[in-house]
This record gives sequence, structure tokens and C-alpha cells, in this order.
Amino acid sequence: MSAGIIDIDYVKYACTCGLLKTLQQLYFCRYCSELRCSFCVSHEVDSHFCGKCCENLPSPEARVKKNRCVNCFICPSCHHELSTRIASKQPATPEEAKATKRTYYLSCLCCRWSSRDIGLPDQTSATGSWPKRKTFMQDKEFFKRKQKEKIISYTDKTGITAASLRKRIGLPEDKPILKLKNAVKMVTPSIAQEDIDDFDEEVLTKSINLLEITSIDQRLLQPDVQPVEMNMIFPVQKMLSIKRSLRCRSCEHNVSKPEYNPNSIKFKIQLFAFYHIPEIRIVTVQPLRAGVPAELLIKFTNPTQHQTTISFLPFDTPIEIKESTAEVGGSKGEDDTSDLDKSLPLMKVIPSGAKVMALVDSHLNMSRSSARMVTPRPLDVSINCDVEIPSSTFILPPRDDAAEYDDFNEAHNIQDDKKLVIWRKSNKAFIKLIVTPKEDTSIGTVITAGFTMSHLYTNTITSVAENKKPQKFNHNIKLILDLGKSVGSE
Amino acid sequence: MSDIKMSRNSIKVMPGALVCEESKLRGDITIGKDCIVHPMATIIAEAAPIIIGENCLIEEQASIIYRVPFDKVEDKDNIPPLKIGSFNVFEVGCVVEAASIGNNNVFEAKCFVGNKVTVTNGCTIGAGCHLTEEQELKENIIIYGSNCQMREGLSKPMPQYSQMDTLMKILPNYHHIRKPSVKGK
Amino acid sequence: MPLYEVEKSVIVLDIGTSFTKFGFTSEPAPRSIYRTQVKSKGQIRELWDYRDAQDLYDMLVDFFHDIYFKYALNSPKDKPIVIVESLLCPIIFRETLAKVLYKHYGVSSILLLSSHLVSLAPLAIDTALVLDVGYKEAVCIPVCYGMPMIHAWQALNLGSQTIHKHLQMLLNEKNSGAQNLSEMTLEDIKVRCCFVTKKSRAQQLQTLKPQIEMCPEIKYPVKGSTTISVCGTTREKAYEILFDEDADHLCLPTMILDALMKVNIDLKHQLAENIVLIGGTTMAMGFKSRLKEELLCHSKEERYKKLNIKCFKFHTSPSKENYAAWLGGAIYGSTDCLNTKAIQRRNILKKRNYLIGRI
Repeated sequence: MSAGIIDIDYVKYACTCGLLKTLQQLYFCRYCSELRCSFCVSHEVDSHFCGKCCENLPSPEARVKKNRCVNCFICPSCHHELSTRIASKQPATPEEAKATKRTYYLSCLCCRWSSRDIGLPDQTSATGSWPKRKTFMQDKEFFKRKQKEKIISYTDKTGITAASLRKRIGLPEDKPILKLKNAVKMVTPSIAQEDIDDFDEEVLTKSINLLEITSIDQRLLQPDVQPVEMNMIFPVQKMLSIKRSLRCRSCEHNVSKPEYNPNSIKFKIQLFAFYHIPEIRIVTVQPLRAGVPAELLIKFTNPTQHQTTISFLPFDTPIEIKESTAEVGGSKGEDDTSDLDKSLPLMKVIPSGAKVMALVDSHLNMSRSSARMVTPRPLDVSINCDVEIPSSTFILPPRDDAAEYDDFNEAHNIQDDKKLVIWRKSNKAFIKLIVTPKEDTSIGTVITAGFTMSHLYTNTITSVAENKKPQKFNHNIKLILDLGKSVGSE
Repeated sequence: MSDIKMSRNSIKVMPGALVCEESKLRGDITIGKDCIVHPMATIIAEAAPIIIGENCLIEEQASIIYRVPFDKVEDKDNIPPLKIGSFNVFEVGCVVEAASIGNNNVFEAKCFVGNKVTVTNGCTIGAGCHLTEEQELKENIIIYGSNCQMREGLSKPMPQYSQMDTLMKILPNYHHIRKPSVKGK
Repeated sequence: MPLYEVEKSVIVLDIGTSFTKFGFTSEPAPRSIYRTQVKSKGQIRELWDYRDAQDLYDMLVDFFHDIYFKYALNSPKDKPIVIVESLLCPIIFRETLAKVLYKHYGVSSILLLSSHLVSLAPLAIDTALVLDVGYKEAVCIPVCYGMPMIHAWQALNLGSQTIHKHLQMLLNEKNSGAQNLSEMTLEDIKVRCCFVTKKSRAQQLQTLKPQIEMCPEIKYPVKGSTTISVCGTTREKAYEILFDEDADHLCLPTMILDALMKVNIDLKHQLAENIVLIGGTTMAMGFKSRLKEELLCHSKEERYKKLNIKCFKFHTSPSKENYAAWLGGAIYGSTDCLNTKAIQRRNILKKRNYLIGRI
């Protein structure tokens, strides 16, 4: 099941949010029984780890370390990872060999930059002891000022100052900008200079060696220093990576949760649509001509452990969003979001300067998730091909891994509409549809067909929780098929 | 036709060199002491003889081609032989047509060096880099990345002795080896 | 939420046209500076090249996804964020940004700060003439006692983009084979080879036979297949486009003078003696001294006679100019401003309820 074979986007499924994705890109929330995609689930940071040494860091520790790994570095010259190498200098005498320990240096395998290039001495231990560049010192006052500002904000928070009292009783703040200035006044302001000389006469005569000047990317890799010369660059600690868990926005259940261990590529929870929704692949299609019906063969595969029935509906069948326990907040949320759109123009009156927005009262406690539902958008697709919707339905048996190896079990007692089902084996069926590109399509246009698939979905979640029988209901999904380009007459 | 070509082939393999029989050698080629030529490596001395120095490693699918230098098309009979120095590494799939190659150079996988390029000593041509412009690479120049960025290294690349030793031991176990044509003492 | 909980990791963001500055409050420098680009459907697009609001919305969702999960490594939900932006930021951008942050990512509050105003915070001054020369445009706004004087704003399409185009033109004039260089290559040539020259030399360069000795030529290799020779005149002239008057007799120095003309007479001298330069383009070597020379020269012109200013003074930022505005945002964000002046999500939602009640 290589991704290259599966991830062909000829068949697209319309997600609940209106985006078109392939089946492999979709999730299926079993609690809402809706399709979700990476756009309409909420992403959360699960765990921090270093992508090079695979070390796990708890998030507070990661924050303290500024989201950087202590032991791994990236090359300041080409942004690749640096590897630690043992200095290969052979000791001159056996005595020296005993006395001296192994030394290490950093080296880039891509651009062959090494820590020796900038004269960094070799280290006696492989990890942890790499010298850090002296932090770029702003003037001391800068930090002092910040601390003072912080103190002021504390007193404000304890409710001692008048400003915060005003805030509490809901009055607009008293001269907000002046207050900030009081804090700032404690430091000596910068004094403007008339004499400025940032022009170096040498540049007019001295020829420049391009290899000694850093490029803009090399400079911006170290934003605080932004070195101009190559001998000023310094190894940069590698940024940590994260594992994400994905959460359905309407019911707050996880649709994907990875295992904590960075070395593991498995998931604790993975509700991929691939395991729940029938997969469709295009088998063949007859040459497509404007206005001429053509046969389209598609293959349906049932990935679930339950038998399903599939029927076809016209493409423009409206898809209602089901109401269930979790959706009470959800549907309300959608109202909220659309209203939020309306309320946003109010932002215009708020200048981007630090001005207070009038607060009236703050007792309104919105449900956290509600306002974050993704408003469904209209499908961004133009259908230029009619699909003859068959009236009959067909059955897909459950997936049976053992049947794959069973060559003799051809017999099945399913009564099929022979016009619709061409061939079937275990949980797969080949279906014939008649498609007709619209009359006005010119030769060479990409033909896009669409229909709504209704499949019987068996929800086992409630049965486990409440000891009931599995719920069965029809779930509708819109499908968009890219059938290739139209051709001219024979 | 092929007979004429075959007759021109004159391969000299110095003692200690390991040249696999499946390698494709055409023209007048001298392979120096302790060199390793992998199977499916290609060396074509089209314009004039190629003389490879000591301890060179030529990996599979690598090709070294000596074409008529662009400035000597008129004067075909007086083309000097291509001398390749010692401790050069030609990695998998590289194509090297350079006009001259010094010592301690590394041609990384799938790189291409055109026939207008002069490679001096200690240079590294990074994986996938294409060099076609007429230029002379100064000592210890490193070319890397998709845009052929250039930087100057501190020292020449280290020779990979341990890799050479391993290959010397392993290759004869699985491949037919060309016998040294020049007898050592 | 406990009253004393100190929000340690509040993201400060300055979304420039070319580069985005990203970091956290109370830190002296941004964590990273990277190109304002979004990778969507396999192709890299500039964030500011949006087609419409929906397109911008989708791009901003991807853009902030990278910020939160690649750089900040933090869940956005119920956290505040500080955004430093220009006062001239288009409404569509600001609104879509707010929609993405409140709706899609559910941030608790957004503190929007004006880049011109906050870049004075690191200098601890409250009155200055701020000139921001970025990628697309140069914007000059005087700030008086902590209040941006919007009526005196000046903007011109002068920035790195103009320089890159000009540089390509100069290269085309001088040698063939350097046509259609990518913007990245031009930027690199500009950064590594070019500089802002002195006025006296610039005047000489304008003449047909300059009586000066040219600076040395540089061989610049492009992609291993071509080598461009960047000659001395090109190196010196690349930035000249900023100081050449256009058809309306406008250029970078006249912007400052025009802005001064529009402010109150009492403030004119004070502003002229407090000029702050921000934005990456101002980091070019020789930029400040040349700007001063030009200002002195232009102020003698007839149209600026009544200004009667003979002295211009410049501030030196404690940081690099390209993240001066970000640094200001980081300072403001570490103060109480964040709690009192940020626009809370619940207020946005409440405003809506209020409106519905009225209707």
C-alpha cells in the first residue's frame, strides 16, 4: 500500500466542510458520523521531540529551552543537520595517546562546513558541552525597563491602582498611552545622533571575496546577530518537532492521536476515513465525447467489518448535517460563526494602535468549541458530465482478510442487478455507470463527473458504550471523479 | 568497427589496483596503484589517454569521459593526456568530463562536471550539482545545494581509508577482477 | 484562570511583505525570520499575492498552521497573540486575519500594534519621525507623544522590490546572459555586492564620463551554469532608485520632508532631530549617511524653504532594523497592554449578541 499508488487524486470526496480531498486525506469522526479533513479538525500539540536524536521533551522543558534541542545543531551555512565527528588527529607518541582524550567537532555532510571553520576548539565530550555564543547584549537598560514594566503590571493586577479599578467597574481606561510612558520614563531615552557614518570607504577600493560574505538566508538563521561575514556564523541549535493530535471540532473527540514515543509511528487513535468509507477507484472509461454516453467502470471496496448497501443519488442532493447529542452545541456554533462574520466589520473602527475596546460586561461564557466550527463552504468544482443515476442498489459484503487467499469461495448468494454490478469478489464490486459529457464541452477539456453515494454505515460506538444494538443509518457522501480529457469524434 | 575500437583499448592496471571486469573501459587508460574501480563504472578516453593516480575510488555508474577539449578541436593530434591525481573519489552516478583533475577531490553522487571546468585540489562537487560554466575551481572549493552554492573549505576532504580497505577485501569475493597488466617487483 | 498566571509564551508576529518576524514577548530578538510564503498544493506562494478574501483565508490558515506547529510548537486555542502591522494594512487583510485567528484557531485575544508606533519602544522615546522601508513600499509616519500623526503619512512604492527590478535593468544594460534572474538571486546580489554610495559619487555616476575611480567588479556565479560580472557602477547604482526623484519629484528624502511639512510647526524641528529608520532595506551599507546628505540637500529646495530645517538627527536602534518593529511588539506585549488593550474574542462574540438584540 504505497502512498504513491493510493494518493492519486482522480476520485475526490467532499468533506463536510466543503473541501475536496482524496479518501486517504480524510478522517471520519465516529461520534458525529461525519467526514473531517485536516482543515476542519482542530490541531493540538501532543508532544515535543527532537527530529534528529529522537529525544522526548516534556512541554514545559521544551519551552524553557526555547523549543530547541540541546545536543543537535544545524549548519549555519546550509541549514542541514550537523553531525558530531571524532577528531582524527593521531597522537604522536603512545604517552600522548594515553594523556589526551578523544576530541569531537561538528561537521556538515552537505556543505562540509565544520566547527573548525570558525575556530571553535574541539570538545572533549560529544554532547552538551558546545559553547554558546554570548547572547547578543542589548543595553542593560533595555532589560531593566522590562522588569520595571512587569512590576507595574503586577500592582495593576492586584487591583491597587486606579486604572484597574476603573477597569473593574467597566469604565474606559484612563489615558492608556500615558501609563505606558510612565514606565518608559524610568530609562534614559535614546539620543539621536547627527553624525552618522555607516559608509565604509574601503568598499570603493577593496575587492570583495564573495565566499566570505554571508547570504541573506545565512544571516536570518541567526536573527539576533545577523552575521555579515562567514567567520561570524555559529552552529544553531536544532528546532524541536511536535506530534499533533487532531480533534473533531463539534464533538471534541480525537480523530487522530499519536503514540507518545518519538520513535513510534503508530497511533493510539486513528479514525481515518479509509477504514470506514467505501473506497472508489476508476477502472476504465470509454472515450468521452460531448453528448455521447460512455460506460464508466468503477470499483467499490468495503473496508468495514459490516455489510453495507450502496445506492446512488444525484450530485446536487442536499446533505443534511445530522443532529445528535454533541451537535446541539455544534449547530449553535454555526450560527455563531456566521454571526461572527457579521460582527467582524466592527474591527474597522478599532485603530491598530493600542486603544481600548469598550467593554460592557463579560459574563457571557461561550461554549469554547462552538465558535470554532468550520462553516461549510460551497464545493469548488464545475461538473460538466451527467451521470445516469441507477435506481437499483447493491450490497458490499464485509471485509474478510482470509478471503483474499481463498480462491475457491467464488460462490456468493447475492442477487445483483446485472446491469449495475459487472463482477464481484469478497468485499469488492465493479460497477458500471453511464456518463454523458455535456453537449457544449469542447475537445480536450477535463471531464468531471459527480454523484452522491449513499452507503449504509454501521456505528459501533454506541453499542459498545450503551450495550445497544449497533446503529445503522445511511450516510451520504459527494464524490467527484476526474475522467480525463474529452476526445473528438472517431 | 568494434574491432578497431578494441584494438585501441590499452588498459594498464598498476599493481595493487582493483579493477572489476564488469567496468567499462575504453581507450588508453592507466590506472594507478591502490585504485578501486567498481563494476559498471565507465572510463572513456576518447580524445587522449587518461592517467589515473593512486588511491582513487571510482564507484558504480560513475563515468569519467575525456572528450576533445573545446579549445583544441582544431588540433586533434596534439591533445595532452588527462592526468587525474591521487585520492580522488568518484561517487555513484557522477559524470565527470573535466579538463583537468588534481588530488583529493570528491565528486559526489549524480553530479555533473562539464569539460570546461578545471578542478584543482581538495574540491568537493556536491550531490546533484551541475557545473558547466568555464571556470577553474580554486583549492578546497566546495559546491553544494540545488543552486550550486560555493564555499571555501578549511582543508581538503579526508581520504576514506577504511572504506577503501573494506572494498579491497570484499569486492574480489563477488566480482571478477582484472589482473594487473604491469607486474610489480 | 488564576489572576497571577503569567502568560509566558505569547507569540509576537510581524508579517512583512517579504519576511515574517516571529518570536515571543519579553525576548530581545525574534526566534526566527523567514519568508512570508505558504506552501499550498505543492507550490510555494507569497502570502500577500492573494486573489480574494477566501483565498487569503485559506492561505492564512496554512500560514498560521506553520507558525503554531512548526515554529511556536504551541496549541493556539485560548492563547493571546500580538500582531505588529502597518497602519496602512489593507482592511481585507486585517479582517481575514482576525477571522482566521478567532474562528479557526480560537485565540483568546489579539493585540494589534502599529509598527511605526511600537518601534519607538526599544528607544524609549515617544516623538520621532519613523520611516519604514520594506519590500513593497516605504511608509513615513511621524509619531508625536505616542500618537501616530496619520494625516501626515507619506507612502511611495520604493522598497526592495523596486531595487531588485532596477538591479535587473542595470545588469541587462551591462552584460547579456543575465536576463530574468530570479528574485532570490537578485536579492542575493544586492545583499552581497551592492551598497548605497555617497552623493558626490552618485552625481558623477549620472554623468556620461564619471571622473571617479570605479569600485572593483565582482564575479557572481549563478547555478553553476553562468557567471555574471557585477561591475562597479552596478554595485553603486542599484540603490540609486530610492534617491532619484520620480515624475512627481518624489523620492525617499522628499517623503520625510513632505511629512514634516504637514505636521504642526512646533513639532517640525523636534521630529527632524528624531528620525528612526526601520525595515530591512535601511540596513544597506551607507543608507543612513546618504539619506542625511540628501535630506540636507533637498531641504534647501524652494518647496521646502519654509521648513527652515538645517539639522537632521538619526536614532540608532539597539536591534537590527529589520526586526525593530517586532522588538517593539515584544516589549508592548510583555506589559499590561496585553491584558487591557487586546481585543478579546468573547467581546467580539458579545458585540454580535448585542447587535442581534438591537435588530
